[in-house]
Amino acid sequence: MAEDQRATDAICAYLQADVAARASGFDPFLDALTSLAEDDEDEARSWGRRAVSPLLDYSSLLELRRFVLPAKAARGSTKALRLAILGGPTTNQLRRLIELFLAGEGIEVEIHEADYGLFRQEILTPGSGLDAFRPEIVFLATSARDVGRVPLIDMDEEAVCRMAAAEVADWVRLWETVHGKWNAAVLQNNFEIMPGGALGHYALRHAAARQNYLERLNRLLVQSAPSYVVFHDLRGLAAEAGARAWFDPRFYLEFKMPCGSECLATYGHSVACLVRAIVGRSKKVVVLDLDNTLWGGEVGDLGPGGIRLGQGSGEGEAFLDFQRYLKELRDRGVLLAVCSKNDEDKAREPFEQRADMILKLSDISCFVANWENKADNLRSIARRLDLKLDSFVFVDDRPAERAVVRRLLPEVAVPDLPADPSGYIQALAMHRYTETVAFTREDLSRAQYYAENARREELASRFSDIRSFLASLGMRMKVEPVNALNIERATQLINKSNQFNLTTRRYTLAQMHEMAAAGDWRTLTFSLRDNLGDNGLIGVVLLRKAEKSLIVDTWVMSCRVLQRGVEQFARNELVELARKEGCDRIVGTYIPTAKNALVKDHFASLGFEPLGAEGEQTSWSLSIHDLVEPLAHYIERDAAHG
Amino acid sequence: MDDVDVRKRLQKIFRDVFGDPTIEIRDDMTAKDIEGWDSLAHVDLIIAVEQKMKMKFAVADISLLKEPGQNVGSFLRLIQQRLGS
Repeated sequence: MAEDQRATDAICAYLQADVAARASGFDPFLDALTSLAEDDEDEARSWGRRAVSPLLDYSSLLELRRFVLPAKAARGSTKALRLAILGGPTTNQLRRLIELFLAGEGIEVEIHEADYGLFRQEILTPGSGLDAFRPEIVFLATSARDVGRVPLIDMDEEAVCRMAAAEVADWVRLWETVHGKWNAAVLQNNFEIMPGGALGHYALRHAAARQNYLERLNRLLVQSAPSYVVFHDLRGLAAEAGARAWFDPRFYLEFKMPCGSECLATYGHSVACLVRAIVGRSKKVVVLDLDNTLWGGEVGDLGPGGIRLGQGSGEGEAFLDFQRYLKELRDRGVLLAVCSKNDEDKAREPFEQRADMILKLSDISCFVANWENKADNLRSIARRLDLKLDSFVFVDDRPAERAVVRRLLPEVAVPDLPADPSGYIQALAMHRYTETVAFTREDLSRAQYYAENARREELASRFSDIRSFLASLGMRMKVEPVNALNIERATQLINKSNQFNLTTRRYTLAQMHEMAAAGDWRTLTFSLRDNLGDNGLIGVVLLRKAEKSLIVDTWVMSCRVLQRGVEQFARNELVELARKEGCDRIVGTYIPTAKNALVKDHFASLGFEPLGAEGEQTSWSLSIHDLVEPLAHYIERDAAHG
Repeated sequence: MDDVDVRKRLQKIFRDVFGDPTIEIRDDMTAKDIEGWDSLAHVDLIIAVEQKMKMKFAVADISLLKEPGQNVGSFLRLIQQRLGS
């Protein structure tokens, strides 16, 4: 036991440390994991998972992999995401890294890997291994070497255009086949572009030059892609990693590897982060320290005029750049919060008094400045925003604060920051915490919602009785089936919702398209407006018609609109739908997970009768007859759209 | 780096790559003598040596190591050659 304790202590010390200390601590960390694994493989695995980081090199990641994904452990449970990796170049190295990075995020996958270069055959041949696997996501891990048509150097622009169109049409056909056969989402690399070539700088003016042609293909591919195709920017990744390292040809020549060995970890991590985004598990909140994180120096000592920020010094401009980066994140829907050890009034002064602050108080969805420990403050921010800590990133320049949060809140992502603020953006961006696969209108205004919600809560506290409060909100609901305009947001909600989710079934965009078109499926989406603003699409119900029953396959709602009668409204809509369809009952199931206890009594509270239980899982039924009374609520149906 | 040092470091790399802390490398060892030394592990081994010894093999070295008759001894000599050059 004492030995296990020592091992656990060594492991914790490694996980709390910053990157510099971790480098020398990696071997002792693995030794500790080894000794722990002898007694308890599961515990070693859960510690090992936390050490998975894009900062580790290829060899270290593979050593770690032995603990995180032991070969003999049973894998591929029914819940695992089925991911096919179809390479142009060989994908053996990449596959193991993708699997590891996903395991690090707690995402279980079953992987089907095609042999090198056989991606077209796997997709097009009936009865291929891929066919039997029934992928949910197909990653086309292709490279510029997989381009089928390459122009001759003396072709004119018109001929190059025709060739590019024919080439892109081939790729579109592959995507359509994947989508048609397995209803899978497609993850498609664009083409990496190696600088240089026989034409030198003149290549820019010559359509048939390799770089120009590949750029044209990349543009055309994106323009021709349906929404079930998600692009992985291999071109950008190669540039980010550095062309000399990426295009190191030795490993391609000998092993047909997709890039230089130094870049494999970056590549695998980048793909894993996109898969994480597809399943709706990207981070949602960035919590920021203030002193020496958003500006230089301590505002408590220097005052708002004395902190180092703004034009005139390189350091001051570096903080501006970092703020600008964060502002962009905020503007595309990532929430920002502040967690600072300061007196609150002093902490607010730079925001209130300095015109050159790029981040404004209105950009901060939750502002906490006090002298409590930051782990407690993060918990309270999570409560106030009504979001889980596993969707949080904590950014603080002080290693001690990072260590506290890493120790007490392991579910929070805590990137290292370098001592020099000019490296902050890179230090945060390299983790790809907030990848997104669809940019919906709701993303743009999400931060605003949370501000509006705070106002709604304030209103609620002024009304002694909830009914007069709800009536005062002037809620109007638009009810529509899943359609081309809302399908991305509906899919996002289905994959993101954990708490208000009766069955936690996840569907890809491709599967949603299929359901929306299928004869026996009925879909309902709910979008709510009130006097304080637009909540956007906040609920989705997917139903399957089976003879005279309407079966609730999926019922998800945004937790933002709890306690506002939306459930009652939706239940009435279901009853109306059942009547219209000639059904005599609605059947629902509650499948419990670690996160959805909130809706355990959902069906009971809406007047459903228990049908039975299977373990923790319960089923419910509501019979439709003339006497089903509509449930009371204060929401008007939006006739203009409904 | 002297020969003993390179040998010691290569031994550590073998242990890490194959996940076996008991491996003692000998010059006459070949892929058959070490469990798990398949073509995939061979790539991992080459990458690990390059990363940990901060050196680069030439393409011809990499093909050479795949040929029959090659063993840990020839691997070691190649590393020393590349480190020296």
